[in-house]
Amino acid sequence: MSEAISYIWLGVLAVFEAPALFSLAGIGIPAPLVMLLCGLLTGIAVGATPGLAGPMAMAVSLPILISVFGVSADALLPVFAFLIGIMKGATVGGAVPAILFNTPGTPDAFMTTLDGHPMTLRGTPERALKIAHFSSVSGDTVSDIVLFVCAPFLAVMVESVLDLPEKTALIILSLSFIAAVMGASVAKGLISVSLGMVSAYVATGQGFHPRLTMGVEALSDGFPLIAAVLGVLILGEVFKSIFDMWRGIRRKRAEDHNADLAPDGLRPGDIRRILPHIGRSSLIGCMVGALPGVGSTLAATLGHSLGKRRHETRKGPTDKSFGEGIPEGIAATEAANSAVSGANLIPVLSLGIPGNAAAVFLILAADSIGGFNPGPSVFNFAAPEINPELVVAFGIFTLMALGNLLNWTIGGIFMRSMGVMARVPNRILLPVVLLVTLTAIYVQETSLAALWVAIGFGVLGFFFRVLEISVLPFVIAFILAGSLENTARQAFSASGGDPFFLFRSPVACGMLAAAVILVVLLARKK
Amino acid sequence: MEFLRKPNAMLGLLAVVLGILALAVWVPADTGSGLVEKARGKYRIGDALAPAVAFSLLIFSGLLLLWETRSKPAQQLITRHHLVFTGGLLLIFALSLAAMRWTGPMAVALLGAGGEGAGYRELRDTVPWKYLGFALGGSSLVGAFICLASRKLRLRFFLIGLAAALAMILLYDLPFDDLLLPPNGDV
Amino acid sequence: MNRFLRTFAVAAVTVAAPLAALAADWTPPGPIKLMIGFGAGGGADTQARLIAEAIEAKHGWTILPEQVTGNSGLNLLTALKDEPADGTAIGMIVTETMAYNLVASPESGLNAGDFTPLATTAAFRMGLVAMADGEFSSWEQVKAAAEAGKAVRFGTATTRQGDMAYHLGKGAGIDFNIVSVKGGKAIMNGLRGGDLDIGWVAGAQAKAVAQGEMINVARGIDTPLRETPEAPSITDIGSQFYLDGNFMFAAPGGMDPAVRDALAGAIAEVLADSGTGASQLVTRAFGGATVIKGDELDAMLAKAAGDSQALLKDVTE
Repeated sequence: MSEAISYIWLGVLAVFEAPALFSLAGIGIPAPLVMLLCGLLTGIAVGATPGLAGPMAMAVSLPILISVFGVSADALLPVFAFLIGIMKGATVGGAVPAILFNTPGTPDAFMTTLDGHPMTLRGTPERALKIAHFSSVSGDTVSDIVLFVCAPFLAVMVESVLDLPEKTALIILSLSFIAAVMGASVAKGLISVSLGMVSAYVATGQGFHPRLTMGVEALSDGFPLIAAVLGVLILGEVFKSIFDMWRGIRRKRAEDHNADLAPDGLRPGDIRRILPHIGRSSLIGCMVGALPGVGSTLAATLGHSLGKRRHETRKGPTDKSFGEGIPEGIAATEAANSAVSGANLIPVLSLGIPGNAAAVFLILAADSIGGFNPGPSVFNFAAPEINPELVVAFGIFTLMALGNLLNWTIGGIFMRSMGVMARVPNRILLPVVLLVTLTAIYVQETSLAALWVAIGFGVLGFFFRVLEISVLPFVIAFILAGSLENTARQAFSASGGDPFFLFRSPVACGMLAAAVILVVLLARKK
Repeated sequence: MEFLRKPNAMLGLLAVVLGILALAVWVPADTGSGLVEKARGKYRIGDALAPAVAFSLLIFSGLLLLWETRSKPAQQLITRHHLVFTGGLLLIFALSLAAMRWTGPMAVALLGAGGEGAGYRELRDTVPWKYLGFALGGSSLVGAFICLASRKLRLRFFLIGLAAALAMILLYDLPFDDLLLPPNGDV
Repeated sequence: MNRFLRTFAVAAVTVAAPLAALAADWTPPGPIKLMIGFGAGGGADTQARLIAEAIEAKHGWTILPEQVTGNSGLNLLTALKDEPADGTAIGMIVTETMAYNLVASPESGLNAGDFTPLATTAAFRMGLVAMADGEFSSWEQVKAAAEAGKAVRFGTATTRQGDMAYHLGKGAGIDFNIVSVKGGKAIMNGLRGGDLDIGWVAGAQAKAVAQGEMINVARGIDTPLRETPEAPSITDIGSQFYLDGNFMFAAPGGMDPAVRDALAGAIAEVLADSGTGASQLVTRAFGGATVIKGDELDAMLAKAAGDSQALLKDVTE
């Protein structure tokens, strides 16, 4: 125990006694603190800009950070500080475009639009933003505490239970769950999933023949992830909005306009009514986050749908439901997806396995700089000498706690100041969003072909919306399809070519059965 | 064929037909290995299995959709306007992306900048040439969509587009040497 | 930096001086497009970008890096082939792409002659890795487990690594269950999680081995591995080939030899200068730069292609 405490103290010291970046009134300001603040503000701004997202900003800034700080051990904490700042800021900022413009920058923020945007339409955007900020930072804080406490134990247990066939079955279960739960029809959810899988399988085979490309050379590395995801999620939404404006169609729920005459901002009782949702969703987010490979989108979906069910059974006859613009809907989603980010670092730090894109960039940073090798050796308290990686790990925990502090204080103010974009009319803003999104994609992919891919997926997203097919299962399937194929391949090869490899373990069988039962039950019900 | 007037039924049918066609023709013709292949003395999963599973799921979901909609009333979901709009937006993208790609090279060729033998490729990291295509293409893209959304043609809209393009240049190109704006990675 | 190293660095720069003079005579006719065949932000990507940065600082050239990933580097070669060979387009890949992958995929329509190899930057420190405290922590244990009828899961990250695993098993009389995984990091994670028993790792294992978490059961290269000098070579335990490789730069084919020398010299020069970030990274991650260029590089790639042909023949028999 005394070792643990001394390591925590060493971690705190590592942050505050790091080389100063500059001095203020004679006191040196340690580089990690400056970078954390810069990262957080960048993250909020990026998250609040429709078309930009945290991982994108992390991808762009990592090479810059490494050229500024070099690859010495001193560089670890400042670089992690900036990336953690972006991660935390973007989680908070992501709610801004979702609430104000109905344009989710990330798949998770999509659920936030359902209740957040109607509140904006009713003239209470600030109340929605404050609720989102409070829920998000609460979820994040809970999650970080879970991380600090559980990191060494939980991850080792999860990993020891799941072998390759169980991992395959887990992905199948996640996909069937998403398809069955999202949207009005199980069949449309499954169409969305299968098209997402098909798109992901273009040119991603194992052989040297790039499959399903029809010989098109520009597709020889498949559809770029960023182009496909931003195309379906953002361009599709922009196209649909511009179409509606062009046809003079007012957005749904427009009749709610100006229905809310009370002043904007938090109201008495708001915090009390959302607290149970924050609590439930934070736990869901932590649990989902601790599972390797299952990211924040599932947490947001679960948090929202469980919160919705709970709310429906509890609410009075005159109360509004989820989706009609109520604080509970925002809280259930924002707390869940924010609660993933801390817990997600459990498998990353103790096993080196990322659960989401943000975690991937932390691993890439560790990999590029060196001196920190995420994996079981990190949590070795018993080493005869001081274990420098454990010091870094507690330095990261310290940075996360400080990040939360910043988020609680200046984060909310900065986030709401991003709402200045709400004054720009949509018919001007959305075309600008189009250009920002396309430019961001180009900066990553440096090819006009990638822009056409994004536009193509945008048109697909447009018709999905017209035909009332949910786009989220498509995006999740697109992201998970690769891991599904790879783990299935590995499980098959590891079994030496056993055709029944998926059905040899009771855990895998249970998960597969659950996947089938979910689809059957919900298809009959809906 | 009252049945086909339902867009959901059409969608289901389309999913089934597409899935069958892909399974019968596309997947076998455009994958390097079969469902399973024998390599290095063992069976392993081939490149065709995952797409085959995905297309089978598409067929299944199409059938499920047909079953779901068999008793539901028809809804008008897709109209002629959706198709006209899609055509229009593709045209706007084609024109503005073409402007993005070719403005710089054409300007260099016409003005003969950079001396003999030098083309746009050599000047793609030189101000102002490297910004020409992005500024013109970006402002026409934004301008055209604002015109479409507001159903009015105003010069002001294109100036807003120009401002947006300039903001992107300030954000990406000035601080970071290594980031390329369109079309400078393609030339 | 101690005095010895400093003297050494000065000496290295002095040796490189004639090349630098040559490089100074040549200036690229425009910005150089640098295609990187590795994912953004990773170690290899950073290496390429830092080398580019150091060259920019030293010569005042402009280098514009971009990612061209996928299909084990063949996508990059396909794109590079059509670029001008005047020194304004180069790419960073691994030697395996130029040798084994070209030999193994005749349908790609690419030939070694379509490209001008410039210089290698760092050599793989390929090991056959297992957990140090597991039941596969020495080659004898691996053999004993296989003979006892246990299916041994062998993690591989590329097609060539898979073929080499099979070839090694064939030579040693073991029928491995070869599991292909995305990259050496993923193999190490598989070992930790118990999904894999042994696997090839090209250098990322160094730290885990030094800390006693993992062990090099055997080495895939000619020279002994620094952390485990006693590990047997794979050629001693059943393989006819090494599983060696390097990071390297290449350009389109038919390049003027003076341009080739200038570019290769510029790369060599920044890697020899211990003050550059590129040199520090390569030293930290790969134990130092390994720069092979000119005729020596051509000969090395020709031998690798020959070995690849023989390996493919052995695997398909």
